[in-house]
Amino acid sequence: MPENTPRRSTPRPGQERFVAPVEDTPLAAIDNVDIDVAPESQWKEAWKRMRRSPLFWTSLTILAFLAVMIAFPRLFTDADPRYAQLSDSLEPARPGHPFGFTKQGADVWARTVYGARASVAVGVLTTIIFVLVGVVTGAVAAYYGKFADTVISRTSDIFFSIPLLLGCIVVVSVINNTWPDRGFWGAVMVIVLALSLFAWPQITRQMRAAVLEVKNLEFVDAARAIGASSRANLIRHIVPNAIGPVIVTATISLGVFIVSEATLSFLGLGLPGSVMSWGNDIAAAEVQIRSGEHLRVLAVPSVALAVTVLGFILLGESVREALDPKARKK
Amino acid sequence: MNAATTAGSAPLLQIRDLDVAFRNEKKQPVPAVRGANLTVYEGQTVAIVGESGSGKSTTAHAIIGLLPGTGHVTGGEILFEGQDIAQARKQDIVALRGSSIGLVPQDPMSNLNPLWKVGHQIKEALVANGVATGKAADARVVELLEEAGLPDAARRAQQYPHEFSGGMRQRALIAMGLAARPKLLIADEPTSALDVTVQKQILDHLDTLTDELGVAVLLITHDLGLAAERADHLVVMYKGQIVESGPALEILQDPHHPYTQRLVASAPSLASQRLSSGKQRSEVREAAHKQARHGGGESAAVPADVGRASDDVIEVEGLTKVFTLPGKGPFGKTDFVAVDDLSFSLRRGTTTAIVGESGSGKSTVARMVLGLLEPTSGTVKLDGVDVAGVRRKEDRLRLRRTMQPVFQNPYASLDPLFTIYRSIEEPLRVHGIGTEKEREGRIRDLLEKVSLPTSVMRRFPHELSGGQRQRVAIARALALEPEVVICDEAVSALDVLVQAQILTLLNDLQAELGLSYLFITHDLAVVRQIADDVLVMQNGRVVEAASVEQVFSAPQQEYTRLLLEAIPGASIPLGVVEAGGSSAARIDLDD
Amino acid sequence: MGWYILKRIVQTIPVIVFATLIIYALVFLRPGDPVLNLFGDKPVSEATRATIESQYNLDKPFIVQWLLFLKGAVTFDFGTSFSGQPVIDQIQRAFPVSVTLALMAVAFEAVFAIIIGTYAGIRRGGWFDGVSLVVSLVIVAVPIFVIGFLFQIFIGIKAGIDWLPATVGGDWTVTDLIMPAIVLGLTSLAFAMRLTRGSVSENLAADHVRTARAKGLSEGKVVRNHVLRNSLIPVVTFLGADLGTLMAGAIVTEGIFNIPGIGGLAYSAILKGESPTIVSVVTLMVLIYVVMSLLVDLLYAWLDPRIRYA
Repeated sequence: MPENTPRRSTPRPGQERFVAPVEDTPLAAIDNVDIDVAPESQWKEAWKRMRRSPLFWTSLTILAFLAVMIAFPRLFTDADPRYAQLSDSLEPARPGHPFGFTKQGADVWARTVYGARASVAVGVLTTIIFVLVGVVTGAVAAYYGKFADTVISRTSDIFFSIPLLLGCIVVVSVINNTWPDRGFWGAVMVIVLALSLFAWPQITRQMRAAVLEVKNLEFVDAARAIGASSRANLIRHIVPNAIGPVIVTATISLGVFIVSEATLSFLGLGLPGSVMSWGNDIAAAEVQIRSGEHLRVLAVPSVALAVTVLGFILLGESVREALDPKARKK
Repeated sequence: MNAATTAGSAPLLQIRDLDVAFRNEKKQPVPAVRGANLTVYEGQTVAIVGESGSGKSTTAHAIIGLLPGTGHVTGGEILFEGQDIAQARKQDIVALRGSSIGLVPQDPMSNLNPLWKVGHQIKEALVANGVATGKAADARVVELLEEAGLPDAARRAQQYPHEFSGGMRQRALIAMGLAARPKLLIADEPTSALDVTVQKQILDHLDTLTDELGVAVLLITHDLGLAAERADHLVVMYKGQIVESGPALEILQDPHHPYTQRLVASAPSLASQRLSSGKQRSEVREAAHKQARHGGGESAAVPADVGRASDDVIEVEGLTKVFTLPGKGPFGKTDFVAVDDLSFSLRRGTTTAIVGESGSGKSTVARMVLGLLEPTSGTVKLDGVDVAGVRRKEDRLRLRRTMQPVFQNPYASLDPLFTIYRSIEEPLRVHGIGTEKEREGRIRDLLEKVSLPTSVMRRFPHELSGGQRQRVAIARALALEPEVVICDEAVSALDVLVQAQILTLLNDLQAELGLSYLFITHDLAVVRQIADDVLVMQNGRVVEAASVEQVFSAPQQEYTRLLLEAIPGASIPLGVVEAGGSSAARIDLDD
Repeated sequence: MGWYILKRIVQTIPVIVFATLIIYALVFLRPGDPVLNLFGDKPVSEATRATIESQYNLDKPFIVQWLLFLKGAVTFDFGTSFSGQPVIDQIQRAFPVSVTLALMAVAFEAVFAIIIGTYAGIRRGGWFDGVSLVVSLVIVAVPIFVIGFLFQIFIGIKAGIDWLPATVGGDWTVTDLIMPAIVLGLTSLAFAMRLTRGSVSENLAADHVRTARAKGLSEGKVVRNHVLRNSLIPVVTFLGADLGTLMAGAIVTEGIFNIPGIGGLAYSAILKGESPTIVSVVTLMVLIYVVMSLLVDLLYAWLDPRIRYA
């Protein structure tokens, strides 16, 4: 032991000078790069985590099945959903008609298979519109601030203060009176616009909060210091980094919109009766099942609706888990 | 600390062959601490020193049974007063906590519950350990806070944590840790989140207090200087293992293990001298002047002014920033002067450091110089051109090319969705420099300059360490061949060794490219390694401005002296640094 | 604080004003002749038409109608419906049952969301957590009217429990509303439970919780005093906001269980084109929403000492 400046008394038992053999913990180069690891983006990493999640595979199975059902309904049923014979009213199942008949005598299963299209169309289109409007308004409000922020935030407050269902009912009832015969897509678009009209502030608020957070990060300042224009900065750096939570909300909302359409149809202010949809079928079934009989007429479209919505919600949950920064290593 | 010599002979805490592991996603054990041995006697101060990830905090948390997440002791024993607490039942450890082993945690901002009054949270410790209840406990809380050095303790006990400053919170946490008079106090980086002057006050106070009470302290720190100054016995950890332990001074003055040697050599508070010699410095300056005179078209923005501009690349005059904050009442507003009438110049090819504690306005200065924040008044001249007067787009871009930043937070300074390639390419692309192929060549060169393998081009920021990201940030800043690089706390978030490495890199680049640095930092020790001139800032004003040698050898102002004294370990005489030769040579830059 | 409340109230005025404008415009756009509607499409003499039009301000321009409505609304005079009843009377009759129903639903939600969510949060990743996740997702996926039917059929009719009737009707008692309240609160219960669970598991890992353990507190005390209180702040504010939402969102539940509340009033008014009633009910809902969000903000400040409004 070296003798220089032992200012304190001799060490006590257990505190003697100890030096580990260098072989035990060989010195690594400071801060070296591990060259063997393959590069992976955050999205790819999230995708890897998602692939491990049973929630994701369950949802994917449901949604794939649904997609096939919408594209090729004939694979699932031979019956014509529009063909109804009163003599078949509420008849039980028989070969070729696995779930029997509705009050009007139409095939319950066939109506459910063909009804998927309208429900999913409403969900998907509403989500697209409300995400587009919400992302643009939210990003602009947070990024440009001042006047734009005031106008957008106050406007979103106004629309947010009107209850979604009540607002939609008013809008649809007005349109029902002005434009009664509007065909399949016309009917779908009316519901889509009514729902988006009162739902967009949700995404606006979320996006605004996310952009406010991201815009103060140092890489944004670094890009400004390079001389990148402020719009390029917003589009290239800020929006992609702020969009994560919106994707989660959007996926879950897609399911919620399908439920909302069914609810509106149930109230008689959703898709008109001429359009086949799960909401209409459930509403029509209500009358018969008050007594507790013929439950399957209600059950089949209800289960189809619930499973579909579950598919989207599960997808949202698994995206949420995959994007959760806490789940990431380091 | 001298109480150590009078204490009894049986060790208070003895750790034998301790192994701690975490479980990964696949439930396999990942060792965090391996075969650690450690002894603490009553009244003694023992320090564990190591970088992040060395296992020092894990060891501390294992002692008190508070390992986070999947952490668990996989082997060895932890004897507290002769009893093995590694294998103890849960309620026995709960009984030990507070009353026998206290904890002062790391981050005062997050370690107090924001919803309870400070006094109540200390009272909880008294009640839980059966020290006092009711009114007696309330009175005791006030005594404890006073003891911890908190003025006006009776009123403060009735306040919430958010009404406290960081230093005050840490005092409250010390009062809490000592409330039930434990025999051992684990202090986990107790002051690393605080300003240096506050850090010194609090550590001094903690020393006196634990001496008086005869409490043993296990100090966990990344700062070798601080550990040596405060502890009798030193334990150095590296990659989960103890590589060296022994009397503190002995280790510092004569480190045996190569890792400890590296650590001693790199600690900025100990090894402080300019990284390159005076002769080299003058060569750098000359080269920078030459480049300014003849060099590329970019810097010839003001051909008429070359003679004048050649000496000062940045001139700042009367720079002031006033923020308007909401005040009392519905329309009330108060002005907050963040930067007050600041003037300085940056000589070409040199480094000017701006030093100050939090709230001194130093980062606001950086943002104003960079043109990211509009000054309330005053001018910033770059190569003699007033930055505020530049309106045309191409002039603005040219200005941008002359001056580039490197920011503090290595986790936020690169866009996480961009590959390293795209991050470095962005400035080239924005300025329309080169074809795709030429740009790729440039990026390879730049990566080489910052000593990164070109294979990192396809990586994403989260796949690199903090130091590596800072290198990428430096490469991005250099992509436009700037004259000035503004480093805003560019090394503050890094571990000591990596910090030394980046400082060396910055220094080498300055010599190679004739760069001028404006170096913003809170750490005077770092200043000595990198800067030529210093501005000491306090509350938005310049307190002292002089050359580095002047400031360190003969500080003129009281505040500067305070800052200098607060550098931990500054007073410790060292043998090794002189013997170890010039500092840059010690650091291994190769991967 | 006083200034803050005043500022907020001033800020909410434009929200209410423009929200009524939107609804007013929508109702105004609605085609058809309200006077004809009133007389069941029988021909109306010019004189009668003129009296009625002036009585309901139908002869004035749209903006004037709206301003007159606002003027009345300030003094809670919402005018009379086309069927001749003062709107305020209609609202007064429907209001108590809706408020009771919403309060019961929120109470049900709060109790179960907090208990289940806390337990799931503490045992994050365990079987209880997994089951509660799946159940909550299923609840969200099944439309409220389907759940309503199932409750009605299996509890109200098949089980035949006297004090849980399948329909409520005009003479309602609090016990009558138990089943509707559960149905109404179920979807929000799922959301509140997930919120509690996330908040609890996040707080369990907080630094200050470790500090609380380090000072020797028992695990029970740590959870009660340091985890729960911190975790419940977002949950309580969610529940507060939900009270307003549930009052407006009870249309379906009120329909299924035949409850004469605000939702039913709004629904029948919409179907009949009773513009004064529609606009008044929506205005009321907006008002409730705005007041609830102000209360929630104040509640937040009261629960969290860090938040001080100025």
